[in-house]
Amino acid sequence: MTLEELNTFVTTQANVGMEAYYWWCTGFMIIIHVGFLMYEVGATRMKNAVSSGVKNLLAFAFMIPTFWLFGWYIYLAFPGGFVPIDLEGYGTPWNVSMGPMLSDQATGVFWAAFTLFACTTASIFSGAVIERIRISAFTFLAVILGSVVWILGAAWGWHPDGWLVTGWGYHDVAAAGVVHTIAGWFAFGVLLNLGPRIGKYNEDGTANEIEGHSLVSSFIGLLMLIVGFFGFLGACLIWAGADLGGWVNIYGAPATLSSFAFNTLMGLAGGMIGAFWWSKGNPFWMMSGGLAGIFICAGGLDIWYPGFAFVLGIIAGCVIIPANNWLHNTFKIDDCVGAVSIHGVAGVLGVLAVGVFAAGYPSAGDIPPTSFVGQLIGCIVMVLTGLVPGYVISYVMKSMGWLRVPDEVQAAGIDSAELNLRAYADK
Amino acid sequence: MNSWPGPENSWEGVDAYFTWADSPGMLAFIVLVMCAIMVGIIWAAAKHESDVADKHK
Repeated sequence: MTLEELNTFVTTQANVGMEAYYWWCTGFMIIIHVGFLMYEVGATRMKNAVSSGVKNLLAFAFMIPTFWLFGWYIYLAFPGGFVPIDLEGYGTPWNVSMGPMLSDQATGVFWAAFTLFACTTASIFSGAVIERIRISAFTFLAVILGSVVWILGAAWGWHPDGWLVTGWGYHDVAAAGVVHTIAGWFAFGVLLNLGPRIGKYNEDGTANEIEGHSLVSSFIGLLMLIVGFFGFLGACLIWAGADLGGWVNIYGAPATLSSFAFNTLMGLAGGMIGAFWWSKGNPFWMMSGGLAGIFICAGGLDIWYPGFAFVLGIIAGCVIIPANNWLHNTFKIDDCVGAVSIHGVAGVLGVLAVGVFAAGYPSAGDIPPTSFVGQLIGCIVMVLTGLVPGYVISYVMKSMGWLRVPDEVQAAGIDSAELNLRAYADK
Repeated sequence: MNSWPGPENSWEGVDAYFTWADSPGMLAFIVLVMCAIMVGIIWAAAKHESDVADKHK
């Protein structure tokens, strides 16, 4: 074998390895949607179980073509703010870059991974609004969140040329801000306009517990979510095999998959234990706490000392429960699965934690080192990027009468009224 | 309809090899059809929901 042949062989294998890695990460991420579906169907009353699942399936199905149509382009074209940079057509759906090419083995698999990030972001919002949002309205809002809003935040805070990155050294390697914060606060904005399910609040302002019909389904769904997030987190690293450089984080700085393994598992365990302690053994909050434990570690998943990731997880597990109670008592929202707290609050804490405990870490090239000010600015931007469009767009939809299922249909059950189906025909 | 974008029965010089890769107008047309289908389906779903709501009033 000549040196040239050896070079060709190594490069080819590296490219094929890269394709295979992101292909399987994408497949694993679909498990997240199995998890969201089972969790939300279980958390739903029997009369709305089918429509709750249909809603999740529709979000997934609409996210894929819309992210191909404009989501990927937004990520590439808007790192500087609201004015697109000239990409000479690259990333637009009528450009050859968005289809099979012999010279490009990267775009398809990266687009696929980002598409599943988008599906995940939309599904975070999904659980908060079950049992009273119109399916068509949810689908539209999911497209807005998944194929426009979060990916704009990602262009600013994830893209190596994003203004938060190049100007402030924003560090958010596994999307505590660009996915969880944005999705959580988008959901909050929608919840303010959507209103609670009928029967959730009494006239004196006290709340009733509306129990889902299958705790088993919710348990399995939450566990599936954790499995699927290993695909999500794995796809947050960049395979730099073709230039023989090894792994780098999303900003091009050296990283390892081992760092993600350490801190994901330690954060997960901390979150479960913290929520177990705070909730006095409530299994729903234990599982949600495990997820929040991962999300609070996500901003600095590449750099935490694993023991500290565990401590962060404990904090997340403890904080999300009173945060959820405070949001409900103060704003009278009906966040059926605690999504605002688990994703929005834990995401905010995850972004800020990097600024407080990991300031001064160098990045690649001309990107400034991490700092508290950079993380604080990034955090504010991510909250507003989710909250403002979530509130404004849902307000317009509410004004049009295109947001909430009427109380009469809620009372009858969406499954039988709209879909002519029942989840359990023999009951 | 032959949509092969390269020279007849050859991969010589071909890079983008998907159907209609050398026809931007056709790609734009298909994109417009996609958009119309998705908007139409969301509109139809919303109309069905409104009809159901009217029946339950």
